[in-house]
Amino acid sequence: MSPTTENAAASLDDVLVGEAVLGVYRQMFAALARDSGAVVDDPELVDVAETLLAAFADAGEEGLSREQMRHVCRRYPPEVFENRLRVLKGLGAVREVFPKPNQLRYRASFTSVVGLMFVRRMMLDGGQSEMHRLLALEQLNVADPRMTPEQARDGAEGLARAFRLWSVELVTLTNGTIEELREQAPKLWGTEEILLRAERLHGAILRRWPQLDRTCTDLRAAIYAYGDASRRAAARLSDSAGTTRNLTLLPPETWRTFARTATRDELAAVLDGFVFDAAAPWHEPSAVVAAVEDAPRAAPPRPAPPRPSVPDPGLSDDTGSDTAATDRLRDIAEEILRGRDRVAVEDVLARDWAAARRILADLSSAHLHPGLPYRLVWSDGLDVRAEGSPTWVTPGWFERTGP
Amino acid sequence: MTAGHGGVDPHVLARARARVLGGPSAPAADPVPPGTATAADGDRVWLFPAWPDGATPALLEEYETAPVPLDRAGQARRVLAAALRCCWTRPDDAPWPGSPAAVADVLAVYADMSRGDAGLARRWATGELRRLHDTGWLLLDEPAGIVRPGPRIALWPESSLASLRDLLHRLPQPPSRAGRDGAAGAEGDAR
Repeated sequence: MSPTTENAAASLDDVLVGEAVLGVYRQMFAALARDSGAVVDDPELVDVAETLLAAFADAGEEGLSREQMRHVCRRYPPEVFENRLRVLKGLGAVREVFPKPNQLRYRASFTSVVGLMFVRRMMLDGGQSEMHRLLALEQLNVADPRMTPEQARDGAEGLARAFRLWSVELVTLTNGTIEELREQAPKLWGTEEILLRAERLHGAILRRWPQLDRTCTDLRAAIYAYGDASRRAAARLSDSAGTTRNLTLLPPETWRTFARTATRDELAAVLDGFVFDAAAPWHEPSAVVAAVEDAPRAAPPRPAPPRPSVPDPGLSDDTGSDTAATDRLRDIAEEILRGRDRVAVEDVLARDWAAARRILADLSSAHLHPGLPYRLVWSDGLDVRAEGSPTWVTPGWFERTGP
Repeated sequence: MTAGHGGVDPHVLARARARVLGGPSAPAADPVPPGTATAADGDRVWLFPAWPDGATPALLEEYETAPVPLDRAGQARRVLAAALRCCWTRPDDAPWPGSPAAVADVLAVYADMSRGDAGLARRWATGELRRLHDTGWLLLDEPAGIVRPGPRIALWPESSLASLRDLLHRLPQPPSRAGRDGAAGAEGDAR
């Protein structure tokens, strides 16, 4: 529904600015709105209304037909235009020239235009200039001979309330995040003048109606509270600006507006005293260091092999000189051979299997030991001996191969 | 002069010359315009813009603003490091003005630093030397085969040089350093 959904590339800054504008609308009409959804949720919707009202002003007493209205708002999508027209008609800002059916020409309401002017003014310089206006008006009222003490008390109480709310808001901002404070910093500008005006008004009321001293005390307290709050906020702002070297103390929109509206001389004055040379890349020493250290290496660095955490004991003493195992095997082999050169394996194994398998394992070890002159030779056959201890036997010889 | 150029504003001419020739160098006797940093070089002086508050363009990174685009930044900086290894012979002094070094030495140091074909590395490094000369980071005298630090190096703040000094110790030695040591020292003293 929003006209900006088509060009979704709008920057975050634009969204922020739009959000700030909407914030003003919501604040202003919070007292009037029936529910939170009743206020527009896109600043461009207000632009539609303003375009329409301007066109009505130009059209004069003739009013505008529906097609003319559509033509004026041709740069907005049709559904946005229809929506706005329906709302404006519903609220009475745009109505038929004559209240009868099938009426084709419309006229705009004077009140809505004035209301919109007020909205625009509040949007441009916030509630602060409105406060200036109120103070000036009140000053005139106080000087008016027809003014009664009751009216003066009402005025003073209203002002005291406004100042209190204002200082509460400032205190909240001061205790909040610095970004928010920086964004709302325009609220702090020109506080001295407002304080002066308010105190002058307070003095005028007190001089003319000394019986209002209680009300005036309230007003005075509110004014001083406001002064304290704004000074504290400004101090926090300047503290943070001193440490961050941040140039965004003004809201970004203010910089942008200046850049767009300043004359050429004003813009050039910013750069007085600077000399430019042709743009050249900059090589920071740390960047040079980083470039060399990130360079592709001549040889990839090889990780060192893992080392034990205990000290290296050096070479092992066990060099295979221990002959106990070999001697044992040799004894067993000689015991089995009993001086012969070869024995049949099945004869050797002709005993209970538990002992026979131990002997078979020893014979295999003697066969496999490279330093012992014995070997096992197996034939291809397989004898089945149903009553024997190993129930099948492959005939083979255990023989001496050397001295 | 004005007659020869058809009455062109001399400021425009000077600016055009500066754009074509790089950072302008003026006779040291000339008055220095306000808002410029100078790099003295014998009887000439190089003029550069002075940045506010002692910042350098590296600050752009803090503001996430794109700096002047640079192709193969890593390679250019490695060649610059190789050149400084040869030209910045006394690391306790400032790198500017440094001492002249043979281009062949710089190419050899760069080839030692880099991986792969040494001949290819030399050709790349030659191109980077020319580009660094164009932007004022080195002064390259190609016919004489001599390179020396450029005036832009004088803009490095002293406080940022510690890591660079460390690095240059670790780079390979230029091949003719041993033979030239005495001569380079004598030249540096004469300066």
